[in-house]
Amino acid sequence: MTKYLKITLSILMISVIIVSCKKDSPVDEDGLLITFRQECFVSNFELLGSDFVTVRAATAVIDTLAQTINVTVNPGTDLKNVYPQFTLATDCKLDPKVIGKTDLSNLASPKIYTVVSGNRKIRKPYTLNIKF
Amino acid sequence: MRNKNIKFPALILIMLTSLLACTKQEYTIPDPVSQLTNDCIKRTIGPSIVSLPLEFAYAMALPKINGKLVSAEVEASIAGASGTFLEHRSFYTNSSGVDVPVTIGTPSTTVDKLTKVTFNVDTNASTLRYNYVIPEEARGKSVSFTFTATSSDGKTATYKMGPYAISKMAIKKNLAVSNGVNAFISIEDMAVYNATAAATNAGKVDLVYLYRATPTTFTHALVSPGADAAYLPGVTLPSGVNRSTKLRKVFNLQDRNLSNLQYGIYVDDIDFTQLDMVDMPNYALGLRAEAGVWVETTDKKYRAYIFVNSINAAGTAVISIMRYTL
Repeated sequence: MTKYLKITLSILMISVIIVSCKKDSPVDEDGLLITFRQECFVSNFELLGSDFVTVRAATAVIDTLAQTINVTVNPGTDLKNVYPQFTLATDCKLDPKVIGKTDLSNLASPKIYTVVSGNRKIRKPYTLNIKF
Repeated sequence: MRNKNIKFPALILIMLTSLLACTKQEYTIPDPVSQLTNDCIKRTIGPSIVSLPLEFAYAMALPKINGKLVSAEVEASIAGASGTFLEHRSFYTNSSGVDVPVTIGTPSTTVDKLTKVTFNVDTNASTLRYNYVIPEEARGKSVSFTFTATSSDGKTATYKMGPYAISKMAIKKNLAVSNGVNAFISIEDMAVYNATAAATNAGKVDLVYLYRATPTTFTHALVSPGADAAYLPGVTLPSGVNRSTKLRKVFNLQDRNLSNLQYGIYVDDIDFTQLDMVDMPNYALGLRAEAGVWVETTDKKYRAYIFVNSINAAGTAVISIMRYTL
């Protein structure tokens, strides 16, 4: 009786070890799923003021070949306190992340945001050009 | 045999438990009120702001055989401002949902902290409303209330309410501003000045209201006198008006008090204390009706929220100010 119990317990323990050692789906350093997608581009861009109302004077022009985003903003826009919003291809992520209000006031040195593909192997830097 | 001995008592125990659990609890009629009793609710919600009222509904009743109501009174821990009263009318809600008043006595008298109504009708139940106007001396403190009802059999009933924290905020509603005329706004005085008065109060002027039809994104604006001249086109500032005030535009923050009781949002003390005004500009362009602006004065003495009640294309607007002293 004891013998059977020991065997059963051993099998159960081995099963638990096997299950716990099974490799999980791959995730990146942000805990996001790494997929097989290679698409890597910005599909839409919005720029909001401190009141979360758009400060764009016209639709942002996104050039996926030149990797630029050109935005014209309203006169008097306070570019020290804006919230950029990027819409990316499926499974992509942005580097650096936009985590809150952003200072884009240095027009002479446009900020560069890099889009990283779903498989995390392709990186495309987009230059954000803002003008009044 | 041993198993049988255990199973049987266990079965009995389970059955008994089930029977007990299913016992119907009979409703018992509560004992009728045999003496003078009272109850109270606070009707006002949102922050308690100096100059605005706190409203309560105070109910009192006693069995008819015990007599009638003689008087009702409220004692506040801090004497109320002018306009404090206890209703001399008892309200009931009719089938149409309308509150109908029934006069029960003479209008209340207020002596220092005590507001009293004496009944002159024979009634043994009444609900009176108490309107306490928050006085200046209560700012930043807390206030509490003791409601007391007295009946003809000499009994009294007492109900305590509070304490309620009184906000440090000050409020000024419906100030008319106009481009080039009444255009100078002082947060310290919570007032709007014309150029002459602004020159007299130069050290207190924090903002200039202006309207420009072009560019189309400029329109109604609040600009600090210390802002770049590009944001004050065609404006000649009175001598000494040069303060640089930080501004932060907000949309969809229609405070109930500032918007004349239209919405259910409240700006409270904590909003001012937690406000991030670092790196904010000293101008706010393109203001619309029901937009707002957070303000921090140059000397960091005050923070304020300016709500735009209405705008007019002719270059006028109505604004309301909520101010917090830091």
